Amino acid sequence: MMQLNLRGATAIGLVLGALSLAPAFAQDAAKITIVLPEEPPSLEPCDAKHSSIGRVVIRNITEPLTMLDPQSGEVVPMLATEWQQVDADTWRFKLRQGVTFSDGTPFDAKAVIAAFKRLDRTDVVCNTKQQTMGGVDLTVTEIDPHEVEITSSKPSPILPTMITVVQMSAPSMDMNGASRQPVGTGPYKFQSWQPGQQITLARRDDYWGDAPVITDASFVWRSESAVRAAMVAQGEADVALIIAETDATDPKMDYAYPNGETTRLRIATNVPPLNDVRVRKALNMALDLDALKPIVGDEVTRAEQLVPQNTDGFDAGLKPYPYDPAGARALLDEARAEGVPVDTQIDIIGRDGIYVGAAEMLQAMQAMWAEVGLNVNIRMFDTGNWLRYQNRPFPEPDAPLLGQDQHDNLLGDASFTLFNKYHSNGVNSMLWDDQVDQLIIKGENATGAERTQAFQQAFRRIHDDLAADIFMYHMVGYTRVGPRIDWKPTIATNSEIAISEMKLAK
Amino acid sequence: MAIFRRSFLTLVSLLVLLILVFFLSRLTGDPSYLFLPVNATPEARAAFAQANGFDQPLVTQFITYVQNMLTGDFGTSLRQQRPAIDIALEAFPITLKLAGVTLAIAIAGALVMGSLAAWKPRGLVDRTVGLTSLAGASAPDFWVAITLVLIFSVSLGILPTSGMGGIAYWILPVIVLGLRPFGLLVQVVRGAMIAALSSPYVKTARAKGASETRVIFVHALRNSMLPVITVAGDIAASLMNGAVIVETIFGWPGIGGVMINAILQRDFAVIQATILVTAIAILILNIVVDLLYGVLDPRVRAA
Repeated sequence: MMQLNLRGATAIGLVLGALSLAPAFAQDAAKITIVLPEEPPSLEPCDAKHSSIGRVVIRNITEPLTMLDPQSGEVVPMLATEWQQVDADTWRFKLRQGVTFSDGTPFDAKAVIAAFKRLDRTDVVCNTKQQTMGGVDLTVTEIDPHEVEITSSKPSPILPTMITVVQMSAPSMDMNGASRQPVGTGPYKFQSWQPGQQITLARRDDYWGDAPVITDASFVWRSESAVRAAMVAQGEADVALIIAETDATDPKMDYAYPNGETTRLRIATNVPPLNDVRVRKALNMALDLDALKPIVGDEVTRAEQLVPQNTDGFDAGLKPYPYDPAGARALLDEARAEGVPVDTQIDIIGRDGIYVGAAEMLQAMQAMWAEVGLNVNIRMFDTGNWLRYQNRPFPEPDAPLLGQDQHDNLLGDASFTLFNKYHSNGVNSMLWDDQVDQLIIKGENATGAERTQAFQQAFRRIHDDLAADIFMYHMVGYTRVGPRIDWKPTIATNSEIAISEMKLAK
Repeated sequence: MAIFRRSFLTLVSLLVLLILVFFLSRLTGDPSYLFLPVNATPEARAAFAQANGFDQPLVTQFITYVQNMLTGDFGTSLRQQRPAIDIALEAFPITLKLAGVTLAIAIAGALVMGSLAAWKPRGLVDRTVGLTSLAGASAPDFWVAITLVLIFSVSLGILPTSGMGGIAYWILPVIVLGLRPFGLLVQVVRGAMIAALSSPYVKTARAKGASETRVIFVHALRNSMLPVITVAGDIAASLMNGAVIVETIFGWPGIGGVMINAILQRDFAVIQATILVTAIAILILNIVVDLLYGVLDPRVRAA
């Protein structure tokens, strides 16, 4: 039967070959195709923090004033060449000269002002500002055509980091809806968008920096990881972004890389029995998380804090809770003896597909908790309903809940995580601890070593003293890169793909 | 008179559908959770609701929706920030093409194979067809699609994995999508043909010396077409709703995927626009099917 099928398939192949129906797999030398998991909703620069938009736009079409070096995590010049702090609320940035937008408009102070104004749009969803700048308002004024002053509504010691997310879009871009034809200063210009099918970019001849090797790039999208991986294997695409570990089967093409995401279960620390630190520690100690790694990817590493390495405030000295079921049982017995309702059912608010293996991971954890006598129930939600449990006001505020969560911090500073996730007033926080609050605020207002230490102390208290989360993993992503190009994904790859960094393989 | 009655009923069903979709889609929850960042403040959520009119009572929202629709404004997609009707009208022709080609091939294949199966029940053709239709009906689309991609694209390298383009790009999606309709239709054709082949007019035709091919494909088949048209109409309606799995895997941006994503993303205007477009198409399809009955069976025409 198998033989027949193969013979049949070969026959079809011969016929197709003869009729020249098979697609042209070989691509022009310097043209590449990148296959993404989803079509971007728009290419609006003010919403470039939306990763599906950022992947196409950031550092291809538009560029920021400053950028984070993915290797070192440091802020480096982009369209601003140097900067200095004038006072607590004010910074000055010197602009790169001789830069033009792809429509010919010069890049100058007026363009910077217009780009920051675009960030304040309220007629469309513009998440960049809200997501990364909290309640800080920025005002840009022109010093001269090549220098601007940025004033923040409250002291911002890391302003150069904050503005790495602000894309410099051309002042000529209209404000009618979310842009689908962005104009920027980047090495590529927007060429075409066939809705549902592909977006194409073309190299600019008048780019201010080094001319990239790749001349044309097409972005296509397939939601199935297996199909994305097959497209690269087949030569139809050169990069398949974010494939499942199970599809990353070819060591020559598949790269595993830390993707900046950290996973945890957030504990409702104010509700019995979870308001007892012994119960929270027992929840952590009952899990053999090293044994569960293969569910999400062998290359993941244990997490003790919600930010990845290279983040200012990351404490390398923290050690994960050991797998110690006997110790967990002892802690639970002690709490039970003191009247803590340890046997109450605890519910996990899970989200289907939040990461690969998300549901299986919860089931394995549930079984391990059952071993130490904890009664944990799993409730799975779609994204929309799961998100309700993420934010204040929390539904079911009196229920002992564990919230499945994955958080990314690619901005290199713990302040983008700590306040929202752990401060008593943080919109996603289920922790109310004065000491943590003080450390967060102290760190946010400080610079240098003082800032780092305050954040490290906050993470240490959250992990060692309070066991405020069920700490899980620093995650990895898998991306397949075809043999035609020489390029390796980095921690930034899931949210930006700088085509100018790609070379042709020799 | 019948046409007026029919048009009136069509309009009523459309209106009922619009009301149902409008209110049911809003039961999925507050879209601000999906469109604003996780750390959005309650004030930002309130501003989002106000900007999009979600702070108004549902009935007011519905009246505004109907009023706008009468002026050709079907609302704006929250996700793409462009007219929802544009999104629906871009996706629908893709679904229509894929569904049309698949159905045409499935019907043609089913007529030939079903007739041959009925000609010699329990013969080789009949058994093979039976097995194929059973396999087609039971194998999950998802698995079949990925398996075919792995065999024909990755291992043999003779067909593209996915995407839209020339004939080669149609082969795998049409096979995967057509398996189930073919399996269903071939059984219908076979059943109807077995009944037809034992009927008096076939015996008469044979007695008059008509060739077996003529007996099968001219006399019996034409009379077996009514149930085939009925079933094909049902299949066409379901294909027009979008073959979500096939469209998703093969990267055909049809209306099914748009509709499902809109539901998951609580993009109400797009849910409404896509359902409206498919509903109108299905209503037109029903009229076509009724007309075909009339062509095939004079008794229906008379009624």
